[in-house]
Formats: sequence, structure tokens, C-alpha cells
Amino acid sequence: MAGLTAFNYLPGNTFLHVLDVRVKLAALVMLSLTCIRADLTESLMMTLCLLFLFRAIHLSFRSISRELRYFIVLLLIVFLARAFFTPGRPLIGIWSLTMTHQGVSDGILIAWRLFLIIMLSLLFVSSTRPSDIKVAVERLLAIFPFISRKKVAVKVAVMMSLILRFIPEIVNQAKETLDAQKARGIENRKNPVYRLIKFAVPLIRRTFENADRLALAMEARCYSENRTDPELVSTQKDLLVFAGVTCFCLIIIIA
Amino acid sequence: MMADTNQLRMMIYASLLAALTAVGAYIAIPIGPVPIVLQNFFILLTGLLLGSRWGLAAVAVYLLAGACGLPVFAGGSGGIVRFAGPTGGYLLGYLPAVCVVGLIAEKGRNRMVFDIIAMICGSAIIYACGVPWLKMILSLSWGKAFVVGMVPFLIGDALKIAAAVPIAKVLRPIVKKI
Amino acid sequence: MSIIEIKNLSHRFENGTMGLDNINLSIEKGTLTLIAGRNGSGKTTLLRHLNGLLLPEKGSVLLNHVPVSKNLKRARQMVGMMFQDADSQIVGETVSADVAFGPENLCLDKAEVDIRVNQSLRAVGLENYFDQRPHLLSGGEKRRLAIAGVLAMEPDILVFDEPFSGLDYPGVKQVLEQIVSLHKTGHTILVTTHDIEKIIAHADRLIIMNNGKIIKDGVPDEIVPGSEEFGVREPCLSHMGVRVRSWLD
Repeated sequence: MAGLTAFNYLPGNTFLHVLDVRVKLAALVMLSLTCIRADLTESLMMTLCLLFLFRAIHLSFRSISRELRYFIVLLLIVFLARAFFTPGRPLIGIWSLTMTHQGVSDGILIAWRLFLIIMLSLLFVSSTRPSDIKVAVERLLAIFPFISRKKVAVKVAVMMSLILRFIPEIVNQAKETLDAQKARGIENRKNPVYRLIKFAVPLIRRTFENADRLALAMEARCYSENRTDPELVSTQKDLLVFAGVTCFCLIIIIA
Repeated sequence: MMADTNQLRMMIYASLLAALTAVGAYIAIPIGPVPIVLQNFFILLTGLLLGSRWGLAAVAVYLLAGACGLPVFAGGSGGIVRFAGPTGGYLLGYLPAVCVVGLIAEKGRNRMVFDIIAMICGSAIIYACGVPWLKMILSLSWGKAFVVGMVPFLIGDALKIAAAVPIAKVLRPIVKKI
Repeated sequence: MSIIEIKNLSHRFENGTMGLDNINLSIEKGTLTLIAGRNGSGKTTLLRHLNGLLLPEKGSVLLNHVPVSKNLKRARQMVGMMFQDADSQIVGETVSADVAFGPENLCLDKAEVDIRVNQSLRAVGLENYFDQRPHLLSGGEKRRLAIAGVLAMEPDILVFDEPFSGLDYPGVKQVLEQIVSLHKTGHTILVTTHDIEKIIAHADRLIIMNNGKIIKDGVPDEIVPGSEEFGVREPCLSHMGVRVRSWLD
């Protein structure tokens, strides 16, 4: 469960770190959507850009590969499924399955696109403080006319930080509950429904009690949805980057 | 103006259930060949405990946090790619599912039969969104998509629903006491 | 001058038992008052009336002559409260975000929030943990973080509910040092505990509660003998007629 409690944020002061979060988040969304449509040459171009950026924020190859273990498996599944199940000219046959030419090229392209999107998010998460992500979401949500800044956007931002705050607490609580039940021989009970009930009820009950105490503590500290606006400054450089990324995406989508 | 106490409480509960969903993706209870993961169990429970409105808020914020790259999905960060990947359909399916579970449970005034119907509908919606997406991304046939993306999990789902009914019964008073 | 003025305060729990029974109390500005008594004697209930988490059914609570219920926001800013369970008091996902939570609720401008966050973290010696996640802190550090979160709101009165429970010896010393130094900077301090030995050497006044009533009230040295029947353990040295030394010496 360590993955849940470890942030991927890499403290630093590079070009990407100081870029306005809103620009970064918008760029992430736009580039991710563009990737879904990119062809082979465009993907190659993007990959080179990304590699350059990864070097720029000093993300080591080790930590990238550690971060991506899970996705490599996922991508492999996508590739294999595509390669075997797409109809077309046969390439190799294994048992009753045949890998096709179309399947392989299709699979490579799709897996590559997904890989690019993963790299984009990794780049974003590594160079952005979680609290800034929350702020950017609050600001970007408020752009939509039907979302009220005070009523919705602030709540969303507060809920996001509460989720991050609760996760380590729940992980600890879950471990404790499981251990306590092992100590009393729950493994002898084979009925999974019984085990699930005996696990979930104390876990949720305790976390809800903590949540009640948290509510009191928040009230004691004057919780209000009318709060200090998080400060974000965007410079000319930020606008330039934003314009550049937008053009890039438009060109790829139209081309 | 100070925020309303009940609103604050519900907001905290919604965040808590979203966090439980995040942790649920990591907790596996070993049963038979496929260990059951508790992520969708907590989604259903969110609908039962919080109702449609706050349930929807909990799931929406959970997905949004994940999309922005906060570490709430299984396997570390991932961000928006989770929605583009093979399992993206299930994630998006959580939204209508929690809403429907909440609606039916509210209409049924927490009677057991309604809770069960609610959760069956909820699970059906999750598969209705998840399986076609899986089929498309992996270019499977319908038959294969169902065999890979639904059949192995049905027993686990039945067990989760069976467990969720008494759990909701015990925990509802805690939520409702406000 | 008394900063807290409680008159005829009673509180009945939902199950009908009396939580507080006709409490009259006034606290002088700048004092360190210890409230002792067994679990369920009404200490926490009393404290929750000070910042309006509970509102008086009967009687009144005045802060600088203004009733708490008249302006909750003012009361909560004036009275900083440290809860028994420091873990569930932490709101933010990082140390600095947690400290900023209070001032942000007060709608201070961003520059002022930053100043207060830095000041408060320095005051409790956590300035090197700015971006740390709170759940990785030790027990004593978590308490100090809770204190920083409250200090950032610049309260006049600080209320500690069982500040030493569950702490190891270094943790107790850290928190005690913090309380004593806050007292020195002119804050009015209230501490509840059932284990008075750890802090009694620093207290100006000791109040013993039982069944929602104030049983004894006065200078610690005079009150301590004979307080065991109310669930308060008398420090060993005091038994032998010796004044209790500070834990910090």
C-alpha cells in the first residue's frame, strides 16, 4: 500500500516547477487528448520532447521505471490483445492464435499513445505540489459558468485535500484491524461474507468517529467556504507556453 | 458566514468514503482464484450511506483527483490515462452507478430488499459502461469481452452485495445521527 | 481582569445526565489554569462551551464581556483549542497546508497567511517540516503541529484537552515546554488532565471537577492533598509533603 501514501512530487526549482499550475494542468489535458489522435511520427516527436523535459526536471530513470512497473504490464496486455485479436494478414501463429501485421502495428501505436499520456501525467505530478494541483482544479472549475466558485469549486478543493489526508489514516487503520483479527484467528473462518463484514464494520466505524472529531476541529478553527483566495501568478512566459501548447495540439488534431 | 455544520459533516463523510474507495483498490480479500478487490464495494456503499447527491459528489471528486494525477488509483499515479486505458469504462461507470444506488436506496427508505436491488442495478451499470470500453480498447469480440471483463467478478460481486447489506444497516445510524 | 466569565452554566446530555451543573467560573488574563477530574467529570464539555462548539442551554459564557453565542467566529478565533486526539485535528495534507487552514478561514490575505504560517511553525520548532506529510510526524510533533495550527489564528486563550495522553517522555517534555513558553508570552492557558503531576509545577490555579460540578478551586499546593477521591492522582512528592518539581528541570 506504499504507493498510496507516497507522493511523486519531486521538489525542485526548474522551468516546469515554476510554470503556472493552471497552464500545466490545461496543457496536460490538451496534450493527453491530442495523444489519442497522434500518428507514429507525431508520437515520436512527442516522445523526444518528453525525454528532454524529464531530463530538465532531473527525474532519474530509476524512479521513472519504478513508477511505471504497473503500467508496463497494462500496456503489454493492450498490445498483445490488439496484436492477436485484430483481423488481418497473419504474422506468427502460436497455438490456435495468430498475430497479425495490422494487429502488431495497431497495438504498438495504441500502447505508445497510452505510454505518452502516462509520461505526461508523471511529468505533471513530479513537478507540481499536491496543494497546487488542488488550487489549479479550483481555479479551472470556476471558469465554467454553471459552477459557482464559492459553492462548488472551493468544496471540491477542500474535499481533495481531505481525501489525501484520510488515505494514510485509513491505511493504518485497515492494517490494525486486519492484524487484530488475525490475532484472534479470523483465518479459521472460511466464509468471505463474514470476513468482509467483520473487516469493514470496525474499519468504517472507527474512521467515521475520527471524521466526527475532524468536523469539530475544523469548526473550532472557523471553517468557512469563504476563504483566502489561493494566489497564483502567471507571467508572460506562462501565457507563451500556453499559446505554444495550444497551437501544437491544434496542428496535430487538424493534420 | 460560517459553514453549516451538517453540510460540513456530509462533506467530510463524502471525502472519507472517496478515500476508502482509494484504499479499497489496494485491499484484496483472497477468495478462490480471483481475489476480490474492494474498490467497487466502497462505491456501492457510498451510494447506500450517503444517498445520490453526496454519493455522486464523493465519486466525482474521487475521479477528478485521480484524473489530475493525485495518487488515488491502484498502482500509483496515472492520472487521466486511467480513463483512456482498458479499465477506464468501469471508472466512469461509477458515476451513474453511485447515483442510481443512492436514488433507489433513498426511495426504498433503507429497506433491505431495496438495498439489494439498488446494488444489483449499480453493478449492472458499472459493467454496462466498463465492458464495451474494454471491448473497444482491446478490440475483443463481445463474447470475449464479457468473459474477461465481467464473468470472473460476478461471484465476488454477489459476496460484496451480501456483505454490504448488513454493513449499511449497522453504519447508517452513524451517518444519519446528524 | 478576567478574560473568561462563566455564569450559572448548565448542560444536559441527550441521554438526560447532567454534563455541567451550574458552573460559575472566571479566569484571569495571562494565567495557567489546570482543570482536573476523572473521565466524564465534565472537563471537555466545559471547554467546548468556550469556543461555541456547544452553546449554553442555561447560563452564559462571556469572553472579554461578550457572549460566545453572539459572535462564534470571534470566539473561535480568540480561543484556540487543542483536542485530545491530535491526529484527528489535522486538516491539511502537508504541515504548511494544515497551519494555513485557520488563517485562510479568516480570509486573511495570502501574504499575511504565509507570514503567520512561518511564524507559527518557527514558534513550535517545526520550520524544517514545511512540506512534510503530517502522518509521518511523531506524537509530540503532531501535538506541536496542532498548536501551530491554532497559533496561526493568533488566539488570546489556549485550551489543551489532555495534552499529554499517549505521549512518550520526550513527547511530554516537548509539549510541556511549548505550553510554558506560550504562557510566558502572555497567553491565557487552560489545561485539562487527570494526570496533574506533569504540569502542576507550572500552574497558577487548580480546579477539580466531579459530576459536572466544580468541587475545589484554588492554589495547587493547597488543593492537591486529598484530591484522590475525585479521580486525580496526587503526585508522589506531594504525598511526602515536598513541592513537585517541574518536569523540565
